[in-house]
Amino acid sequence: MTEDRKTYRWVRMLTGGVTPFVLAVALLVFVRVYVSACVPGAQEAGICRELLAGTTVGRQALFGSCWVAPLPVLFYLPFAWIFPEPLAGMGAFFTAWFLVLWAVREAVKATGQSGVRIVLAQTAVVGMVMLSPQAQTLGIRTALMTLFMLLGGAALADWAAYRRIRDVVTAGWAGALLALCGLPAFVSAGVAVGMLPLAACGKRESRGRIQAWVLLGGLPLVYTVGVWILMNRLVLGDPFFFVRSLSYLLPQPGVFVLAVLGSGLALLPALIMTWVCDARTPEAPGAGPVAASAVLISFAVELLVCGWVLTRFGVGWHVGTLYVAALAVLVVALARLRQSPVRLAVALGLFVCLSRFWLGGAPVSELSAGAENADADIPRQVEAFVESRTPYGRVFVLGYAGLDLLRGYTGGRLQPNLDLHVGALRRAYPGQNLYVLVPRPTGAARSESVFWKYPDLYVLGGDRLLYAATFGTWRLFEVVTAPTQEQWDEWRRAAESGN
Amino acid sequence: MSIRNEVPTQEDIAKIDPLALSHMRPDWSASQPITLAQKRWLFAVVAGVAVAALVWPLRTAQVLIAVCTALYVVIMLYKFIVIRASLSPSALLRFSPQDLVACEPREWPVFSVLVPMYKEPETVKQMVASLEALDYPADKKDVQILLEADDDATCEAARALSMPQGFRLTVVPPSFPRTKPKACNVGLALARGKYLVIYDAEDLPERDQLKKAVLAFESSPDNVVCIQSRLNYYNPRQNTLTRWFTAEYSAWFDLQLPGLAALGAVIPLGGTSNHFRTEVLRELLGWDAYNVTEDCDLGVRLARAGYATRMLETTTWEEACSRPAFWIRQRTRWQKGYIQTWFVHMRRPLALLRELGVVNFLHYQLLIGGVTFSVLVNPVFWMMTLVWFVFRPEGVAQLFPGPVFAAGAVCLFLGNFVFLYVNLLGCCKRRQDSLMWWALLTPFYWMMMSYSGWRAVIQFFRDPFVWEKTQHGLGSPAGPAAVRRG
Repeated sequence: MTEDRKTYRWVRMLTGGVTPFVLAVALLVFVRVYVSACVPGAQEAGICRELLAGTTVGRQALFGSCWVAPLPVLFYLPFAWIFPEPLAGMGAFFTAWFLVLWAVREAVKATGQSGVRIVLAQTAVVGMVMLSPQAQTLGIRTALMTLFMLLGGAALADWAAYRRIRDVVTAGWAGALLALCGLPAFVSAGVAVGMLPLAACGKRESRGRIQAWVLLGGLPLVYTVGVWILMNRLVLGDPFFFVRSLSYLLPQPGVFVLAVLGSGLALLPALIMTWVCDARTPEAPGAGPVAASAVLISFAVELLVCGWVLTRFGVGWHVGTLYVAALAVLVVALARLRQSPVRLAVALGLFVCLSRFWLGGAPVSELSAGAENADADIPRQVEAFVESRTPYGRVFVLGYAGLDLLRGYTGGRLQPNLDLHVGALRRAYPGQNLYVLVPRPTGAARSESVFWKYPDLYVLGGDRLLYAATFGTWRLFEVVTAPTQEQWDEWRRAAESGN
Repeated sequence: MSIRNEVPTQEDIAKIDPLALSHMRPDWSASQPITLAQKRWLFAVVAGVAVAALVWPLRTAQVLIAVCTALYVVIMLYKFIVIRASLSPSALLRFSPQDLVACEPREWPVFSVLVPMYKEPETVKQMVASLEALDYPADKKDVQILLEADDDATCEAARALSMPQGFRLTVVPPSFPRTKPKACNVGLALARGKYLVIYDAEDLPERDQLKKAVLAFESSPDNVVCIQSRLNYYNPRQNTLTRWFTAEYSAWFDLQLPGLAALGAVIPLGGTSNHFRTEVLRELLGWDAYNVTEDCDLGVRLARAGYATRMLETTTWEEACSRPAFWIRQRTRWQKGYIQTWFVHMRRPLALLRELGVVNFLHYQLLIGGVTFSVLVNPVFWMMTLVWFVFRPEGVAQLFPGPVFAAGAVCLFLGNFVFLYVNLLGCCKRRQDSLMWWALLTPFYWMMMSYSGWRAVIQFFRDPFVWEKTQHGLGSPAGPAAVRRG
């Protein structure tokens, strides 16, 4: 008995502590050494900087877009508060992937698998990401989404198999946190939560308690989305600001919603399998491990289908994230099967090699991956340009891309702006020469609120916005305003001295 | 060995000192609710805050809010840890009906049952019936019905009934303070059992509870001297208040106390259905007759003496207080008792730290102090939140510097929801699904708790020993009947 306990503690320490630590460190080293384009937590850092400074832009950025969701930022915030860059990014990256590997353990051990199988599964997940390294798939957001997909998927599978209350709670909370990871995860969160009461319908006893499963599983998701809406109302004045970009990005939002929801149908076979297993084992509390495997596989398929739908509608900037999560769920499904460690190792090895087809094909998000955006030279060039024209210049760098661009900038002339109101800027900064720096509206940058407010801004400028210069993929526009007395005086002096 | 069904004489009873604890260990008793040193400390803190508020009003308010927010965050995290621990298999001692059958035939030890009663003649019959129905050999039951000498109605009702084998009436002479623990101390002195349990008059314990308690003691290490059963209500659907009360009890007894047991923490015992090793209880001088939550105090004293408490998977059904006025009195008493208990054991904080150890000391502070703190401080933060949402005044924003604001937002949006969700979870575990919808309205219940909390503070300084008796017998008779039918 004591020996068993000792072994159990060793296995727990190895799979829950040592292996995730070593693998997460390995991943961090790999990223630092081999993937120079990837700066862990690039986008989150920009938002955190504003949040810590207590600016309105920071609060707007935290809640203002379903594409740049709050959870990764909130996750990054304590690191940004405690550590300087790039330590904060590395700390957040390491912690996020450590948690993913811990989640792999939790998901695999539910079936009582040995420590070797858990370690193999953890290694496979890291191997998969290392073989297809992209800035997107190595992001903190990807890690968090994978973490909650794994926890949610495994809880859903265990719920189908064993009908334990703890699985409803885990799936419900994982769904809620997934929703906070942004739009690509909305559907999976909803599907995971919606599946809870449906999976319980196979047995009379659990069917009779549907209201309990709906409440316990669904309430965290409903509450989370409710708080997000409330925050949009309070911070941005529009409760649905964070999803407004959809109407600009998608000509037929209704069709898009139907198509995305349709991806949930991928879970139908698992649902039927669960009901059939329930019917065949009336004395057992749940449908058993076969149903659990079916649920896990279907869940992964649903993620892949969802990614495909997003790509088809032209908004698949984050599908790499979805693919990593889906493949990690499949790794867990493989590791939960009863087979020898050698066979499992071979199967996982093959799977990791095959995963390159998926991850290699995923489009790279320009927003998070672009070395061009991370180019620290652009702010300096813009600053020099503006200073050459006026000592009273102020530049507003638009959108989430702007937060990213200003990550390492320490000057005072450039400042981020999310919700462009030209009139308000002119009133707020009378007597100054104002400029706006606009990112190119491609990829994820299309979802920026400035583009659904001023669709032709980048190409044509806008009301009182005159083209001034181009810096890389960015364009600088000057806000046209009536000159002040000081400017008149300055120009007059300049003219006189010139004469 | 069976026991004789004899009644102790009034002379025997008169010789018993029901205030033994306060006489022999006054430092462990709430007979002096707050010591001079504690008064000085309290005065110094209040005066210090008042002076600081006059000299640096904004800075003082910011510091106070930061401290409160930090404590909120700690309490929230603590609740997470406790609920997580309640999932552990060691959270509850479980015995199936098959386990009970497997251990028969065997010799069961004598089990003493104490039932203190005061001014509740209407419940005597039900109480005798429910205790008689306990599945335990009649000749091994030692049931004492503890009556107050000046409570004629209950005495008459009890004497009018023919008592089954193993039942006896013990009449406690009137004296100050008039509290339940004082009567229990008399019962403890006269108890004959190896084990002892307390039930309230309206309690309906599960039939096999005594046998399960015996098995629990026998399967636990010697330092486990108390086994706490889970409590719940048989009249949850009587009105909104009983629904909320039941949801709260389900979360407390089905999640939080098992979680504490799994963590090996100090357990504030529930008022009834706590089973003891009689000898150890006598060693500890029984209950503190001056403490109005003598059960909570005893739980702490057990931990200080190095003993452990475990939770048993068995339920005693009680009657939920259904009228707000009575509920507020009951809750005032409970919260006053928590305050009493905190002050009693914090007379010598270092000794407490040494006896409990660091971890259990923190458990004690968060459980006994934390509960009271949050109940008292909640209304202040609710008001500030409301004012901010409605009027957006600059002043409120100034009180919350960046990190405090972030922590406060986490408490507001996550903490409150988690506390509510825990109640839902408790109802779900109890299979009281229809109550879950009502549990969503728990914040209104929290307001009542805060009102009672402040009432308790005032009463603690004005009338520390007043025992506001809970009025029972207000529920539908269908409730107990339904429980009896199983």
